[in-house]
Amino acid sequence: MKAVYPGSNPGRRTSKMEQNQNKTTEQEGKSWFDRWYKLLMTIPLAIMVISLIYLGIFFSNHNDFLLKDVSLSGGTTITINAEIDSSALEQQLKSEFPDVVVRKLTDLRTGKTIASVVESSAQPEEFQKSLEQILGYNLTEENSSREITGSTLGQNFYKQLIFALIISFILMSLVIFIMFRTFIPSIAVIFAAFSDIVMPLALLDFLGIKFSVAGIAAFLMLIGYSVDTDILLTTRALRGREGTLNQRIYKAFKTGILMTLTALAAVLPVFIVVTGLPNSFRQIFLILALGLTADIINTWMTNAGIIKWYCDKKGIK
Amino acid sequence: MSWRVWVLIFVLILSAISIAPWGYLEKGALIKSVEQNSTAFNEGLRQGMVIRALNSEEVDNMEDYSRIMSSIFPVQNNTKLIIQTKTQEFILYTDEALKITVSNIPKTNIKTGLDLSGGARALVKPVNVSLSSLEISDLIVVTSNRLNVFGISDVTVRKVSDLSGNNFMLVEVAGATPTELKELVAQQGKFEAKIGNETVFIGGKKDITSVCRNDAACARIESCSAIQQGDYACRFSFTVYLSEEAAERHAGVTKDLGVNVTEGGKYLDKKLDLYLDDKLVDSLFISEDLKGRVTTQIAVSGSGVGETQQDALAAAQNSMKKLQTILITGSLPYKLEIVKLDTISPLLGREFTKNIILLALVAFISVSLILFIKYRKLKITLSVILTMFSEVFITLGIATFIKWNLDAPAIAGIIAGMGTGVNDQIVIIDESVSNLSISIKERIKRAFFIIVGAFFTIIAAMLPLFWTGAGLLRGFAFTTIIGVSVGILITRPAFADILRKIQD
Repeated sequence: MKAVYPGSNPGRRTSKMEQNQNKTTEQEGKSWFDRWYKLLMTIPLAIMVISLIYLGIFFSNHNDFLLKDVSLSGGTTITINAEIDSSALEQQLKSEFPDVVVRKLTDLRTGKTIASVVESSAQPEEFQKSLEQILGYNLTEENSSREITGSTLGQNFYKQLIFALIISFILMSLVIFIMFRTFIPSIAVIFAAFSDIVMPLALLDFLGIKFSVAGIAAFLMLIGYSVDTDILLTTRALRGREGTLNQRIYKAFKTGILMTLTALAAVLPVFIVVTGLPNSFRQIFLILALGLTADIINTWMTNAGIIKWYCDKKGIK
Repeated sequence: MSWRVWVLIFVLILSAISIAPWGYLEKGALIKSVEQNSTAFNEGLRQGMVIRALNSEEVDNMEDYSRIMSSIFPVQNNTKLIIQTKTQEFILYTDEALKITVSNIPKTNIKTGLDLSGGARALVKPVNVSLSSLEISDLIVVTSNRLNVFGISDVTVRKVSDLSGNNFMLVEVAGATPTELKELVAQQGKFEAKIGNETVFIGGKKDITSVCRNDAACARIESCSAIQQGDYACRFSFTVYLSEEAAERHAGVTKDLGVNVTEGGKYLDKKLDLYLDDKLVDSLFISEDLKGRVTTQIAVSGSGVGETQQDALAAAQNSMKKLQTILITGSLPYKLEIVKLDTISPLLGREFTKNIILLALVAFISVSLILFIKYRKLKITLSVILTMFSEVFITLGIATFIKWNLDAPAIAGIIAGMGTGVNDQIVIIDESVSNLSISIKERIKRAFFIIVGAFFTIIAAMLPLFWTGAGLLRGFAFTTIIGVSVGILITRPAFADILRKIQD
């Protein structure tokens, strides 16, 4: 190996012969990235700033960073295994229970309604009674499902989940620091992971999505899953021995994009092919999908930019 | 082949053994529950045994069991019943059908959570007191006992705690939800029989030696009648046997009472008031001849109301059963509240399961497709798909082996893991085909640096979930961590070896 990579720092240098070979093929891409990478970084940074501002406004309006569904705020969810006119039902229930929401679970292939989900923060007894009056039949354990969460418990769950989220973020950060042992590249990875959480959160808040217990758990999973492309990038850029820095970043990009695409390929069918799934399930996948998408720009624009900048400053080529 | 590949094959075989649908090969009826102190229980029949034959007539499934049982019983006198299980033979003499519940043998050992198989889950917490682990254990014993006495089968009661140090009791009932579940688990069950202000006896072993149940001679519905507005009411009554101490208390309290003469007969001037959780259930006239007498036999009664006579009858039967249960099991020293109660219809669960299997297939195919489009090499694509499949398969195998309940979040973890598990293999491939000037060993070593890093970040991220939300999200963390661990310890090293082979 030493014959191929002469010099005191073999990992960071390429032989003249290889450089000449690469010059013709990579020159165009290389100069393009050299010129534009700082500008590229501003795109995700701008999105990030907008997201943070939006979350700030959201917080001042709602006194929280997200909207909670009944599994976190307390209330009743009744799932009825029947085809019901959901908007009519919602209208009828609204007068008595202003916060009621009715959703439909449909089988996308057949278009058939599997069930209707009715949610409210109301007490289960009166809520079910009104519902039965409107439907005209009794709800039994055969024709319906119920999830009832006490409000204290819901709030307790929420606090714990947020605590778990913070712990898991700190643990992840520790792992990254132990792996790379350099400040700026590690911070770049951690910042990308942070952005992967903030961007989907801001978008979902904007869309008025209510988060469930499983949804917040999905953010924890996102922390774990989104950083692998950042690790790949940082490892290839700092520890790689072949090619120029730009080539290594480009190669990491090719590998990383494929990784994210396969992850999305597993997650996306929930929204296009198979729709009749428990709500907890759908929300996990929705958050993973948004997070992975955000990860593409956060890794390959922000993180790659910071790494490029860092290597330029440190003279790593 | 390298030893790593052999390890993979070995673990795959173990997983296959664990998951395989052995239920198709096995015949018999599985005992789901045995009523305590029943003849069947005393003879040694236990939950989990498989009945193969009754009186040498073969039992292939649950239907066979019911058919044979109803052909033998009811009978007048004790008859001999030979029960053949997988390993033993039981001979008992009885005049009624066995007090056990049976089901078909499950086809596979994969256990699905309540949100997929249907059932009920109640998270219970005492009001205004926090319980120590020991107190929770006592609570669990009383609750299990209550559910068992009441006759609810297939139930698990366990302690769960959360990050803030709260202890809860989690009650899970598989299958259809008994309507009484809420009352049975949340009721403090403080039963008091009072005359005036004086307590004569309370529920539980201290005052009550036994309670007559399932015997029409001393526990029955006495009468039904129409009450106002077309409603019906049925009265029940059953005998309770008091301890000597309670009986003497009864004598002491009644001896000073006066006697009222009414049309119906002579009664004492105070009634025996029955309270359940401080609410009056019933007031009973005490007949004159009981005055000052040490009696160990007392009839407890009450009523059930319904819109039809049939409803009233069912209500009365239920109330009787509930009261009997509470009298036997005694009360709890604190009030309880159900903080979370989920009942999932088995029907909806089946629909969900169907969709999840479909989703797993679609995810599997779409990931495979992307890989094939990218690499266009059948060998590489196939080995990635095989590895992906192995990871899911082994995760399922482990979950089945340790009897983990796979709920919807757990399966979401597995499916999401399919996409991300492939990531590591992509890293291995891309490292191994690149830069041929470094030895393949060196390149794969570097790939593993990335993989191990990614592995630890996932573990770090998912670990806190184990202690969050009373363990309801444990399944999600569990499958994710098992999945990535299987990946890094078993499948990916083997995959790297296979790839090395392909490269050579």
